[in-house]
Amino acid sequence: MFWKMIFGALTRQKSRLLLIAFTVALGVSLATAMLTVMFDVGDKVNQELKTYGANLNVLPKGLSMLGEMYNLDQVEGEAARPEQHLAEADLGKIKMIFWAYNIVDFAPYLETKIMAGNRPVILVGTWFDKHLNLPTGDEVDTGMTRMKSWWDVTGSFGRDDEPRGAMVGASLAAELGLKAGDALPISGLEGQDLGSLEVCAVFHSGGVEDGQIFAPLRLVQDIAGKPGLVQRVEVSALTTPENDLARRAAQDPGSLSRLEWDTWYCTAYISSIAYQIEEIMPGARAKAVLQVAESEGAILQKTQLLMSLLTILSLACSSLAISNLVTASVMERGTEIGLLKALGATTLSVVLLILVEILITAFAGGILGYFVGLGFAQIIGRTVFGAAVTANAMAAPLVALLVLLVAMAGSMPAVRMLLLLRPTEVLHGK
Amino acid sequence: MKKNTSFMIKMLCCSLVRRRSRMAAALLGIAIGAAVLLGMVTLCYDIPKQMSKEFRSYGANMVLVSSGRESMNLDDAAKAVRHFPEGALVGMTPFRYIPVRHNMLPYTAVGTDFDAVKKTSPYWRVSGEWPAKENEALVGADIAEYARISPGRTLAIDGRNSKHAKFEANITITGIVKTGGVEDGFIFMRLPDMEAMTEEKGLADVAEISCSAGEKELQDIAAVVRTDVPSLEARLVKRVIQSEAAVLGKLEMLLYLVTLVVLVLTMICVATTMMTVIMERRREIGLKKALGAEDRRIAKEFFAEGVILGLVGGLCGAICGLLFAQFVSASVFDRSVAVEFYLIPAAIAVSVLVTVAACLLPVRRAVEIEPALVLRGE
Repeated sequence: MFWKMIFGALTRQKSRLLLIAFTVALGVSLATAMLTVMFDVGDKVNQELKTYGANLNVLPKGLSMLGEMYNLDQVEGEAARPEQHLAEADLGKIKMIFWAYNIVDFAPYLETKIMAGNRPVILVGTWFDKHLNLPTGDEVDTGMTRMKSWWDVTGSFGRDDEPRGAMVGASLAAELGLKAGDALPISGLEGQDLGSLEVCAVFHSGGVEDGQIFAPLRLVQDIAGKPGLVQRVEVSALTTPENDLARRAAQDPGSLSRLEWDTWYCTAYISSIAYQIEEIMPGARAKAVLQVAESEGAILQKTQLLMSLLTILSLACSSLAISNLVTASVMERGTEIGLLKALGATTLSVVLLILVEILITAFAGGILGYFVGLGFAQIIGRTVFGAAVTANAMAAPLVALLVLLVAMAGSMPAVRMLLLLRPTEVLHGK
Repeated sequence: MKKNTSFMIKMLCCSLVRRRSRMAAALLGIAIGAAVLLGMVTLCYDIPKQMSKEFRSYGANMVLVSSGRESMNLDDAAKAVRHFPEGALVGMTPFRYIPVRHNMLPYTAVGTDFDAVKKTSPYWRVSGEWPAKENEALVGADIAEYARISPGRTLAIDGRNSKHAKFEANITITGIVKTGGVEDGFIFMRLPDMEAMTEEKGLADVAEISCSAGEKELQDIAAVVRTDVPSLEARLVKRVIQSEAAVLGKLEMLLYLVTLVVLVLTMICVATTMMTVIMERRREIGLKKALGAEDRRIAKEFFAEGVILGLVGGLCGAICGLLFAQFVSASVFDRSVAVEFYLIPAAIAVSVLVTVAACLLPVRRAVEIEPALVLRGE
């Protein structure tokens, strides 16, 4: 009998229940879209911030710091000392640390001085777009092309398979009168002929690089006489904003308790990623670039906080709207309920009838709204970030809970009214 | 006519008062709509500006260098700084680089203004104290580690100034600075100390400027500086500016989209609420028609009710919306939100419009109905 009545109500009151389902669907789609975007916005903004460039510098542990510090030239005739360099062959290991998937890109650099157009110039060797096969079976594409996406490049980015293709900085190119497609004869500091470079691009970076030449790593290793060696590696990694634990660990990892250590090691703090790189590459020192790391944390936190507040707002307003409508539509049915009560239905069974009816409608609307909301989230993701938004598993149960709570809360005033209802008065039309 | 109007007002008042609970529900819906509208739009206006301030934690987005071979003059830099808009300028930090020696080893000493550094480069991590008194200095983390220098030590340094005159000084290290960049390899001292030490006044090699402005504005400022102070060259730090523009652009677009979605959905919700409220009153409409009221009159009455509801709900909603925007801004950015005042009447007008528009369809349907049918309860 109960189910027959429910079924009857559902079919007979189609338009009214459809309106409730529609409103629930709207509210739920809004909630789903906001929740999905909120859960993913951190990752997306983090990716976006990667254009700020590397947040880790990997340097050899040896005395290389002196060169960087005082701009000392290498003593003439001195052979390259291995402790001042990193082995190119080891670089793939960076992608094999615990947080390997958080390493977005990395590129090695090796600098040497040459003469170009009768003046000393720094020639930098790097990977432009390198394909690596890791021992773990993974394949990685990385290199400078990805890390320096903000450069203004006239021409095409260099390529690793063009052994003499080079990119020339804008201010140097202006001084030497070079443009993309030109040939640039170069020589060693003592005048020995080193052939010529093909200028494939002129770039503007706004930094010191504007006075330098970038060429494939292999070529520079040959010129500098340092086969298989690099000076430093820039790594760009997705990180979690720093907190007190990370700061303490950065100062002295020894001061952490066992539990704190595990937490720190298994969280993608910049300091733990640096620590893991040092672990896997003995002889290397990974330095966090605080300018990038600290500010990224600040901006990420703000964005996430902002999105969560907006999500709460939209959750609140969609639930209010739904419960408002549910209340209005239940109260309309006073006559029908009055009749039921006059025929001898208990208050409990009437309340149960109304609740089940509303819940069935709400869930039908909710399921529809959930998928529409996922669609909304995808539209937002595509337009704003140009990438799909990952649907978070948390969103579905949260939304279901929301629908349940809202439908119940929305029926409450109606239920209260039902309890106070006097059949004769309602049937009489008052 | 006058009598007619007063009668209508009386009817409206009665209708609003007698149906309190139902009207309260409609009012609540409208108020929510208006609150969301005003709150979100205000935030949309304000957030890019606020975020732009946050981005200043990345440090300088413009540097001033000398256009010639000599060091630049601080007076020129001060002159250039005047071209930056008052509110947007975060700070200007001069840097003077001098090669010095300590224990026969070469180092680079940098003279700067530490108060300005705290503003333009908030990412510096100093363990120990910032220098405050004469001849106090910070040392970079790499040097500190390499030369085993700890805060409290006094270093004797010597060197030659640009006229090759010798100088000597003792500096007290108060703290160790760590940034992960080139700063880790420098010794930082107060600019007045360096001027006294080298006996050269008013010089700097680089001035870093942090200014919350977009690329276009900064380029314009740079052009003005170049013509007004020809001894200086203003350069944009491309990396910072471009990424800021990219992230801010995305964020702004995200906000606009979210606002749009939220708005459309709340408007639909307001409309559905109004519809149910009016649909219920078909019997009343039927009675009025049976008593001889014209269709136009009935419609007018309902619209007047809609206008009143829209005004009151819009006003309440606008207040709540502003409070909400203020709350978000305070909790996310620790600043109060800048309110565009013309948005408030606009939000109220929109809520009135939506409410009236929502009345349109159900009123027309109700008016078309035969009074007898409605009254009989069909």
